[in-house]
Amino acid sequence: MVGRMRARHRSGRPEVVTVSNRSADRRRGSNETDEPLLSVRNLKKHYPITEGILSKEVGRVRAVDGIDFDVHPGETVGIVGESGCGKSTAASSLIRLEEPTEGTVQFDGEDITEYDSDEMKAFRRRVQMIFQDPESSFDPRMSIGDAIAEPLTVQGLTDKGRRNEIVADLLERVGLSASDADRYPHELSGGQKQRVGLARALSMNPDMIIADEPVSALDVSIQSEILSLMNDLQENFGLSILIISHNLAVIRQICDRVAVMYLGEIVELGRTDEVFANPQHPYTRALLASIPTADPNDRGMGVELTGDVPSPSNPPSGCRFHTRCPEVIQPEGYEFDQQTWRRVMDFRQKLDDGALNVEAIREMRLTEVDEYETIEEVTTAETKVRLRDEFDIPKPLSDPQAEAVLESAIENIVTGNEDDARDSLATEFATPCETQSPALEQTESGQTASCLRNENELPPTDLEQTVRSD
Amino acid sequence: MSVDNDPHGSAGAGSGGGGGAGSTSETFEDVDWEKVDDAHRSLSLKAIIIASIYTVFAAGVIYDYVIKTPGTDTIGTLGVNLQALDWLYILTLLSILCFVVVPLYENKRMTRYYWRQFRKNKAAVVSLIYLGIIFVIGSIGPRFLDRPTVDPSSAYQPPVFMSVEEWMPVECAGEVSGGRCHGTWAHPLGTTHEGKDILVSVIYGMEVSMQVGLIAAMITITIAAIVGVSAAYFGGWIDAVLMRYVDIQITFPTFFLYLMVVYLYGGSLFSMIVIFGLLGWGGIARIVRSEALQRREEEYVLAAKNAGASSFWTMRRHLLPNVSNSVITAVTLLIPGLILFEASLAFLGLGDPTIPSWGEVIASGRDDLQYAWWISTIPGVFLFFTILAFNFIGDALRDALDPRSEGSGE
Repeated sequence: MVGRMRARHRSGRPEVVTVSNRSADRRRGSNETDEPLLSVRNLKKHYPITEGILSKEVGRVRAVDGIDFDVHPGETVGIVGESGCGKSTAASSLIRLEEPTEGTVQFDGEDITEYDSDEMKAFRRRVQMIFQDPESSFDPRMSIGDAIAEPLTVQGLTDKGRRNEIVADLLERVGLSASDADRYPHELSGGQKQRVGLARALSMNPDMIIADEPVSALDVSIQSEILSLMNDLQENFGLSILIISHNLAVIRQICDRVAVMYLGEIVELGRTDEVFANPQHPYTRALLASIPTADPNDRGMGVELTGDVPSPSNPPSGCRFHTRCPEVIQPEGYEFDQQTWRRVMDFRQKLDDGALNVEAIREMRLTEVDEYETIEEVTTAETKVRLRDEFDIPKPLSDPQAEAVLESAIENIVTGNEDDARDSLATEFATPCETQSPALEQTESGQTASCLRNENELPPTDLEQTVRSD
Repeated sequence: MSVDNDPHGSAGAGSGGGGGAGSTSETFEDVDWEKVDDAHRSLSLKAIIIASIYTVFAAGVIYDYVIKTPGTDTIGTLGVNLQALDWLYILTLLSILCFVVVPLYENKRMTRYYWRQFRKNKAAVVSLIYLGIIFVIGSIGPRFLDRPTVDPSSAYQPPVFMSVEEWMPVECAGEVSGGRCHGTWAHPLGTTHEGKDILVSVIYGMEVSMQVGLIAAMITITIAAIVGVSAAYFGGWIDAVLMRYVDIQITFPTFFLYLMVVYLYGGSLFSMIVIFGLLGWGGIARIVRSEALQRREEEYVLAAKNAGASSFWTMRRHLLPNVSNSVITAVTLLIPGLILFEASLAFLGLGDPTIPSWGEVIASGRDDLQYAWWISTIPGVFLFFTILAFNFIGDALRDALDPRSEGSGE
């Protein structure tokens, strides 16, 4: 593709894509000790949940809940996380495609959240966005050429001749042909459209490009083409890139630094190689463990996230990840196997959420035993065993004290005193993770991470060993 | 794939402008945005021409209603006197020129594609030709033909090649043989009981039908598109206010309002068109809104915002073109409905008594159906085919205008 693209250049232009003075300056300045190009501080985007005709606010979806990060000139930063963790919202609210609820965004030293509409329009030239879905990011009634020229037109370049020249040049630089300008989006493939998306973003000669899942809608074979094109363009024009993705392979391929997001917060931030080699947050470790490998003997680290992603309208207290964290800190005075402790926490979580239904447990037992006709025949003892089985909690626990606490709680649940069980478990099996919010702090291996284990200098649990020894 | 496009295409497109820097053409890095900001924002030639067309129109209206002495002809030397209805019709035709013909001409590639799609529907092509003929004859005819006049001596003349009993016409204009009066070329489609020439009446009726359909459609589309797109784009209280108003308007008995106007001021085509145009857009506004609501969520709207586009730009360049499908389909159903409605009102005698519309001619023949069938039948046939033609065209346009349908059909 690139070869063809260069061959097409007319004799008047050098073989290699030219770098303007502005871009060259930016490249020289691409040193991380320099002032950041983009600096996001405490960015929040909350969506109000309203009820009734007067739109009374009854709650808030905390899609993005206070994130901080910097992007330096010429740098590629990734934001990674599960779907629904707020990464796309972070991208669109930091350039005010949606108005952020709180926080500041400094771009080149100026706070863009203070900009009025004229300043904002001028700012749009400097940061451009590439969208996730190539099918919907182009107006089906606008030709490719017009779509690429749209930013130029909107920003006041009224001369159609000049626009056409710029569009023709851009199309060739992204590996398409200048004659494609007359075509319509439905005549192009997904990969071609994403190239056009890049051309549209480049047309403003921006300092920075924000790419929201730029390749997730494309075939794997096309993904790497687009990523390497982005890489080339970044090198040629000294762009800063902020890339949003749920795909760790993509992040690893092109990012200098990566921020891992969970439920609207950044939980780990650092150089990509460091984060991938030595993840400091249990969530990052779980994400990395989920990458399939080609080695049939490598059965993965066995870290598996249990439970559902909590709703951002009611995020968990303390560390937001504690409801699913495989490495959640154990209570003082008890001795658990970490995996069992996680299961006990799942059990506690279910109980706290009011989602534990003893009747359902009895019914399950009823269906398992042929002799039983009615629910009443299921004995309390059987229910207790079934309840433990449901959560894979071994009987007895290795720590006799813990076993006593758990057994009395289960007894209470089965006999209908759920509140007592809840209270006793909450006091006996309290973990600091549910009360203390960890802050993003520097870790030994270079990156920052927000985990109480790092704060309290607890060693990471060796889950791999536990699982393997099972 | 795009990769094997003809290599001259790029050179041609690239060197088209000539406003670039030196020998090489301009690239995106060469644009000096500060210069662009400082440059005087000049309007495009097209915008200036469209603006001047409407200015001339407005000047004409002001001249006709404010400056010239009341009661005289608009253009005295030519003996042309334009009525309110004529001005509206001119405005409609100008709008069709500026917002339909010019864009079609500008986007030749898209136009050719639409035409290829449209051509697949043979009935629609025939319909288009038929309506074209009706439009041309209806526009030119009344300028040269005198209005049909009452002439009792030539009543009940049969159409050419037809014959009736000799006693029927007062005075047979054609040949009388075998006790039958034969039609002549003097009245090719025969005459009514008042001796009005049916061909001339039908030609006048063509203009009436086109005026009713096009003017009311223009009023309807304009209001419905603005209201629907604004409601969808801005949302919130603007949406609530506009759409609740539409709810009220839809329940409003437009027909009774028209009857009241007829009783108070007498029937007039102008008031009929204006009343039905101004009060009949609610349904289409709802269609436009629901369509625009979907489009608003598309990423290209976000992309436009990211480019710094204003709300007006997004509505004009993205939402409006993308709702045009459903608007055009709805309008091609609306126009025949209006034409039929005008004919019905004229048939009931609630129309403009001074204008020979098809409905009026049909009504004038209803007592003579037994003996003089042609009086009601001939304008009825024209009415029938006109309505059928609009429906066929609407059908074909709906298929042709969907840019995503390529490849799925055929």
